[in-house]
Amino acid sequence: MDYRSSEITSTYLRSRKIPSTACSGCGLGMNHKIVVQAIKELGLDVADVVWGTSIGCAGRQTFATWKGDGFAGTHGRAYAIARGLRIALPPEKRIILTVGDGDAFGIGLMHLIHAARSNADMTVVVNDNLGYQSTGGQYGWTTPQGSRTDSSPYGMFEHNLMSEGMDVLEILKGAGATFLARHVAMDGAWAVETVKKAMLNKGFSLIHMPYPCPTNFASRELGSRNQVNIYRWIKAHAAPLGQEKEDTFWACGIWHDASNSRPEFHEYVHETVERIRRTGAL
Amino acid sequence: MKRFLETGNFAITEGAILAGCRFFSGYPITPATELAEAMSLRLPQVGGVYLQAEDECAALHMCIGASLGGYKVMTATSGPGYILYADPLGWALGCETPLVVLNSGRVGPVSGITGAPGQGEFYLMRYPTQGGNFETICLAPNSAQECMAMVVEAFYLSERFRMPVLVLADQLITDGFEDISVPENEGEMKEMGFRVWPRKVCQGPEFYPYTDALDIPPVVLGHNTGAVCSDWTPTVEGYDIEEVDAHHKHAYRLIYKVRNHRDLFNQHYEKKFMDDDPDLVVVSYGSPSRVVNTAVIKARQQGLKVGALRLINIWPFPDEHFNRKTKYLAVELNWDGELVREVQRAAPKDSEVHFLGTCGDLPSTPDLIETFEKLLKNEPITRKGWVLEAW
Repeated sequence: MDYRSSEITSTYLRSRKIPSTACSGCGLGMNHKIVVQAIKELGLDVADVVWGTSIGCAGRQTFATWKGDGFAGTHGRAYAIARGLRIALPPEKRIILTVGDGDAFGIGLMHLIHAARSNADMTVVVNDNLGYQSTGGQYGWTTPQGSRTDSSPYGMFEHNLMSEGMDVLEILKGAGATFLARHVAMDGAWAVETVKKAMLNKGFSLIHMPYPCPTNFASRELGSRNQVNIYRWIKAHAAPLGQEKEDTFWACGIWHDASNSRPEFHEYVHETVERIRRTGAL
Repeated sequence: MKRFLETGNFAITEGAILAGCRFFSGYPITPATELAEAMSLRLPQVGGVYLQAEDECAALHMCIGASLGGYKVMTATSGPGYILYADPLGWALGCETPLVVLNSGRVGPVSGITGAPGQGEFYLMRYPTQGGNFETICLAPNSAQECMAMVVEAFYLSERFRMPVLVLADQLITDGFEDISVPENEGEMKEMGFRVWPRKVCQGPEFYPYTDALDIPPVVLGHNTGAVCSDWTPTVEGYDIEEVDAHHKHAYRLIYKVRNHRDLFNQHYEKKFMDDDPDLVVVSYGSPSRVVNTAVIKARQQGLKVGALRLINIWPFPDEHFNRKTKYLAVELNWDGELVREVQRAAPKDSEVHFLGTCGDLPSTPDLIETFEKLLKNEPITRKGWVLEAW
């Protein structure tokens, strides 16, 4: 059966990977669509982008969906891989990484910080399904406090990177990231505009995008796999930046925009190497 | 040809650059630090990039990324860093990414003694990552000059087999100062037996063919070939698949592309006094083999019928050298015996296989000759309370 249902999918995605292998009702497709829509609106071709993913729901379900070149890295290491790739690829090639919250904020956080530090030109989309869902639903490092998961049956009581006023984006800002934003999957066209801005930053950009997981997260925390419940729950706990309420987990919008304010990794390294090669000194 | 009095690390750096290496990422660790330092000095001079990594795991992942982008790449470490390569090495083996990894052995376990040579990673070179279902190629030089040659060779093999190729040295070899000749042009490289293979680009659509064939160009991203690679079992096109049959075919390639083409590298060994069926064959690799060679020459002068077999290609293990039923003695830089187990497996049934271990320091020539004498007289070899037969 041919699932090529629209111009955007037939232009940018592989028909072999449609329909997605994600669970029924999964919100990942909305995030995926936001990113591809941003690419389309920027007028980019398949050949302009190398698409990297990683382990877990977000990594596996988006791997090899992009019609062009792509890779799926080991768990948490896509940021180190992308830095090596960034050095080797021509600067005009864009690197987009679609990864999960466990990958970026757990096992890969150190590599992520170093990718931000070096301001390597890449757009990292962290698709946050509020924990480790492909292994059945354990809590992660941005899971809202109190959530019941398979590994927090009494409610998630540990301090994490989104509790008590902490914000994982703060860490990345301190590490030197030049564009940081947050959106929930339902932000649609607004999120597309943000992703476009992220991709226009010649440097390290990251968008944190919580999305609904009906199968595991919602079934434990909300006691229901009804997709509408978890979609409403996420929407209820999201608000635009500056309009947060008491129960807001996710303040959405552009969180930090220092686009094109620092030298980019590939250009800086290659310019420096070239200077040393020519003159023998820095 | 230019001559230097320099370290093994210097020789490795020059060899890598001759082979076309233009990217090195590493993490400081004794005794491989000076190699990273030499790369940081030399690579920019030839337009290459040196990147210090946040840890060894990142170092090798950055190398793989750069290799996937078309660069010839290398990293180097010692035992405590080598175990952090387990994660990326599995990925590189599965994705069939060409790169060169050098491990300079020191004394373990864990940090052990940092500035002394050890050979505790003989099996870790064969099984450097989880999951099995692959074959590895490992070369173990015993001098600075040979380090250069084997690093050049490792780059050559890594392109033809499209896989990581491992070089096992030790602290004495990488840190020691020796007389080193560096070829200055292609003619001199040929004269020295250096082979170079250029990076090619797999055009697809079959990026992971189920075959043992050599010379399938590696997957390179950014050429818009539609190449995909992942950490999962691939289909022929590179898509992830969870099927035992597909995995079986992929594993066949990872194992038999090496096993069926060993003739490309199994000439890397050295034999001394092995033509007259010696009564004792002394097996070693790396820095202890230098003392073994001296001891065997002296033993021959004393009339002992001893031969020396020095392995350079240690993995896949060259069983073909062990087809004669005789006495074997494995001399290693560890106390627990690793090479000896492989010798025992490869030697004909009922062959006598013995072990002489030291660690952190080389065995002495008199100690070795005394051991040869005892073994030839069928006397047990013991030293300072260590029961050396109990490996």
